Amino acid sequence: MVRWERVKVIIGKEWLELRRSRGLLAGMLLPPLLLPLFTLGLIFAMGIVSDPDTVDIPAAAVDPTLANLSLEALAQVIFGRQFSVLFLLLPMIIPNVLASYSIVGEKNRRTLEPLLAAPITVSELLVGKVLAAIIPGILLTWLCATIFAIGLVLVVVDPVVPTLVFQPGWLIMLIFASPLLAAISVALTVMISSRVNDPRSAQQIAGVLIVPVMLLFFGQMLGLFVLDVIVGLNFSLLLLLLTVGLIWIAARVFQREEILTRWR
Amino acid sequence: MNAIECHQLSRRFRSVIAVDQLDLRIPIGTIFGFLGPNGAGKTTTVRMLCALIAPSAGSARVAGFDIQTEAEAVRANTGILTETPGLYDALSAIENLVFFARLYGLSHDQATERATFYLRLFELWERRNEPVGGFSKGMRQKLAIAHALLHDPAVLFLDEPTSGLDPAAARAVRDLIKSLRASGRTIFLTTHNLAEADELCDLIAVFRTRLISLDTPANLRTRLFGRGVRVMLAGPAAPLVATVQALPFVIDVTADEQTLFIRLTDPEHDNPVLVRTLVNAGADIRYLEPFTPSLETVYLELMQEGSAIGK
Repeated sequence: MVRWERVKVIIGKEWLELRRSRGLLAGMLLPPLLLPLFTLGLIFAMGIVSDPDTVDIPAAAVDPTLANLSLEALAQVIFGRQFSVLFLLLPMIIPNVLASYSIVGEKNRRTLEPLLAAPITVSELLVGKVLAAIIPGILLTWLCATIFAIGLVLVVVDPVVPTLVFQPGWLIMLIFASPLLAAISVALTVMISSRVNDPRSAQQIAGVLIVPVMLLFFGQMLGLFVLDVIVGLNFSLLLLLLTVGLIWIAARVFQREEILTRWR
Repeated sequence: MNAIECHQLSRRFRSVIAVDQLDLRIPIGTIFGFLGPNGAGKTTTVRMLCALIAPSAGSARVAGFDIQTEAEAVRANTGILTETPGLYDALSAIENLVFFARLYGLSHDQATERATFYLRLFELWERRNEPVGGFSKGMRQKLAIAHALLHDPAVLFLDEPTSGLDPAAARAVRDLIKSLRASGRTIFLTTHNLAEADELCDLIAVFRTRLISLDTPANLRTRLFGRGVRVMLAGPAAPLVATVQALPFVIDVTADEQTLFIRLTDPEHDNPVLVRTLVNAGADIRYLEPFTPSLETVYLELMQEGSAIGK
């Protein structure tokens, strides 16, 4: 049974440390906020200078909903769809950075033993650390996606473009898959943290997580599939299974005895 | 009633035995010194007693709770000062203390009240809002001790509590430890500072994987070295060794320039005969005093005996 009062105390401490660490805070906030701005700039440019080759991109060829669009609008939809997938990287990258500094950082500073000596369960400690890393990641992802959605309405050449970019599959991924990706990222970081002594090493190893998102990115670009509801739900289900498995492993690694006697 | 009881407590890491069949009974209100070389298994013992790691065999009760079946109650009733202070550098002194107090289940108001009390006690109040990262080693150590005390634990485990402190701060910590004993708390002190252990401890255990010896500092001395006297002479001591050695109550005698170290079975009874014998042998005695070996001497002797037994 998790006592949420203790979990809140852990989360409060984690966020207080984050607020005090300005470098980490800036590193966490700035790149994600640049992503929608960069994407919107690119889509805006597509509306001005479009390339006739865009019609030959496989994604354009396989999706009948894109027929009858002007070349500029087509270019904006294609690029909008590709880059909207990249927002799914944020819930992995941000929690990964936070969790690696939180767990490997505690390990390096040797603050884990006094923490483990407190009358809290390791589940409460793990849940506190996981939520402290996941919540900012998800909120920031949704904030960036909202900026992107609002900005897109302003930069498109045809009002139909936003409805074609924001496919239901993308929204499902954003709402359901984002928290799962964040949880996977943190679970993997916990597992890696037991073996490395540098937060950056933990971040780099957990970087393998971008592979499934890049598969979505290139799969859609190559016209292998369209990110519709079915793809979104299937992908989310797959992530759910992966999340359960990895959290189970992470919880086994994150045990008092394991941390004090085996973590190096 | 005992604050700590161990029965055949053991811990093995794969093929390595870290703690072997430790039996301890430490009464409430005792300052208990746990002495041993690096790698002796002291930290493992403390971790088991704080319910941080499980024993491979045996059992223990701390503050009345079983370390295996009532682990959380053990942690709630013990305070621990680890080798490193374990503080969050980015947080201020008061934020560190309030965080730990709240982990022990105190409300925000209670936590702030306790933190305030200890910050004032350790003369850190003026710097309560500064990040701990800028504190000196001594200040950090004081804060770590305050952290261990915040929840008013019945048993306190202190690992090198005065390490890195200046003499005045070390004295203040020692006085605090004595006052904690006076308030009924039990202190489990791990230290390499033998003079400190000698000053503070009611009971001392010398330990290297196994318990080598457990007794009061005075009894350890007597058991090892018997009781003795030091005789300061006006001339060389060496010529008198044979005369003293011939006395039936003398256990052993050594000479160092103008001083004789004599171990006796019962100094109060034997001293008059000893003095008479020395005077008759032509010795000019400047003075005679009880000879008490330092705890360091006792410790080294015990470690040597422990090694011999181990072999």
